[in-house]
Amino acid sequence: MGLLSILRKLKSTPDQEVRILLLGLDNAGKTTLLKQLASEDISHITPTQGFNIKSVQSQGFKLNVWDIGGQRKIRPYWRNYFENTDILIYVIDSADRKRFEETGQELAELLDEEKLSGVPVLIFANKQDLLTAAPASEIAEGLNLHTIRDRVWQIQSCSALSGEGVQDGMNWVCKNVSTKKK
Amino acid sequence: MALRRLLLRYFPPGIILEYVEGGESKTRSIDLLDLRPDTDVTALVEEIQKREPLITASCLEHITHLVQRLQEKLGEKQNHKFSLFKVLRTHILPLTNVAFNKSGSRFITGSYDRTCKLWDTASGEELHSLEGHRNVVYAIAFNNPYGDKIATGSFDKTCKVWSTETGKCYHTFRGHSAEIVCLSFNPQSTLLATGSMDTTAKLWDLEKGEEVASLNGHSAEIIALSFNTTGDRIITGSFDHTVAVWDVGTGRLLHTLIGHRGEISSAQFNWDCSLIVTGSMDKTCMLWDAVTGTHIATLAGHSKEVLDVCFDYAGQRIATASADGSARVYNAGTKQCIAKLEGHEDEISKVCFNPKGNCILTASSDKTARLWDAATGHCLQVLEGHADEIFSCAFNYRGDTIITGSKDNSCRIWH
Repeated sequence: MGLLSILRKLKSTPDQEVRILLLGLDNAGKTTLLKQLASEDISHITPTQGFNIKSVQSQGFKLNVWDIGGQRKIRPYWRNYFENTDILIYVIDSADRKRFEETGQELAELLDEEKLSGVPVLIFANKQDLLTAAPASEIAEGLNLHTIRDRVWQIQSCSALSGEGVQDGMNWVCKNVSTKKK
Repeated sequence: MALRRLLLRYFPPGIILEYVEGGESKTRSIDLLDLRPDTDVTALVEEIQKREPLITASCLEHITHLVQRLQEKLGEKQNHKFSLFKVLRTHILPLTNVAFNKSGSRFITGSYDRTCKLWDTASGEELHSLEGHRNVVYAIAFNNPYGDKIATGSFDKTCKVWSTETGKCYHTFRGHSAEIVCLSFNPQSTLLATGSMDTTAKLWDLEKGEEVASLNGHSAEIIALSFNTTGDRIITGSFDHTVAVWDVGTGRLLHTLIGHRGEISSAQFNWDCSLIVTGSMDKTCMLWDAVTGTHIATLAGHSKEVLDVCFDYAGQRIATASADGSARVYNAGTKQCIAKLEGHEDEISKVCFNPKGNCILTASSDKTARLWDAATGHCLQVLEGHADEIFSCAFNYRGDTIITGSKDNSCRIWH
């Protein structure tokens, strides 16, 4: 990818290019989701120390997806990547109930960010392949998603591992990009 | 005018004349850019004497001796094998660019963690962490040859100038309306130039701490800039497919180099300020007359984007790096491709010569940096160990130390 390619992806993109920011706590499955989107091997994924960028074609759009590491010490740097974001995807580990409060708090802070104001948000209730996973409806309620009124949002249950539900989420993304970009 | 003393400059080969004129001490250089180990010294010295009035019969012996020393330096066999000396892991996010000071005693690294760190090359010790930017520190530079100041350009739209000695911030330059992605001190270290995604470049007075010129004219992001050796011209390369040549004194646009059919990736003057080389996403590299701004040649051959280009110190050769995974070496005089550097398994984002010009260093997304023989194109060494893409690399002036900066958050020193 190189630094120059990163600069090219940084500039405000033409109509058919979409900048997607993928955030969430560490171990939520962001990188697995990114690789699933790009149809890449997901058997050896390690915690992201920085970021990963991939471009995928979908429904006539070029989706430039930025997957940013979610460990606590690097979360303050998420704002490095806010500029020109078209869609925010927030990933939650649905089986990690102990951290629902933490993830809810991080999401609430993101929704308060001026640079992300009005940006459509898709919440992936990930890891539905695990038996202990909470259903999307429970997460939506726990996170008070119904109180979000300043933007369009959607919660989608998925398994980044199996790929189930991922495409449904991306369809929502493309639909909401098209209304915003046109 | 009275000659006071003669100094050697190894790279590019030259002799510096220190003399007194009107009570003032001045210097000027005799560039010996074509010098080879087998050049006829007697003939060369005669020619120098004819050309340079300060060189009188009494110092011919001294000049001969200096030329011979330069030849010895050029002829030295370098079989140096590099090995990993240290891994520096105090940045907590990916690195951006890296740079040495002139002597190579210190170097700096920029990072997504919003800091620039200053390091001691010999020990690998962190001397200062320059903190204050509110976003990625992308462009960094020492004011070489002095090295007492460091400039940092950030995605936070500001640029800061720091003291190398204390790590204190002298100035914060505000005025750009988008990310600063390239910067350079002028050779006299009186000005700093910054280039931004806001499509402008600016010149800042380092003493007064204020903007002296805004170079407006590009219609898209500026991603490369470079002063010429004398410091009276600056070029800016833009995503608008053009390179602009500006007069530093007046901030006036002198020429626009039009010809590339894709975004510019890199642009540089050669040492004697006669040529400009440009690399582009259109897969080609172009050579231009720096004085008239006219197109001289197109160096084609790469099958994907050219991501970086550079001259060697003497301006005799050009190296190009491409997304096609190869690098190429061209003769700046004949414009012929002399070597293809093949072996990397992914795109090459940076290329540079060692100061002597016999060796080329490339940094790649395949997580390796490689060393190549500049004349034959043979791969001399593969520097392996980084766990992710290498974004930047640099040689020190002596050519015996290399630093590499990676997306894996580490910087490595190789001896």
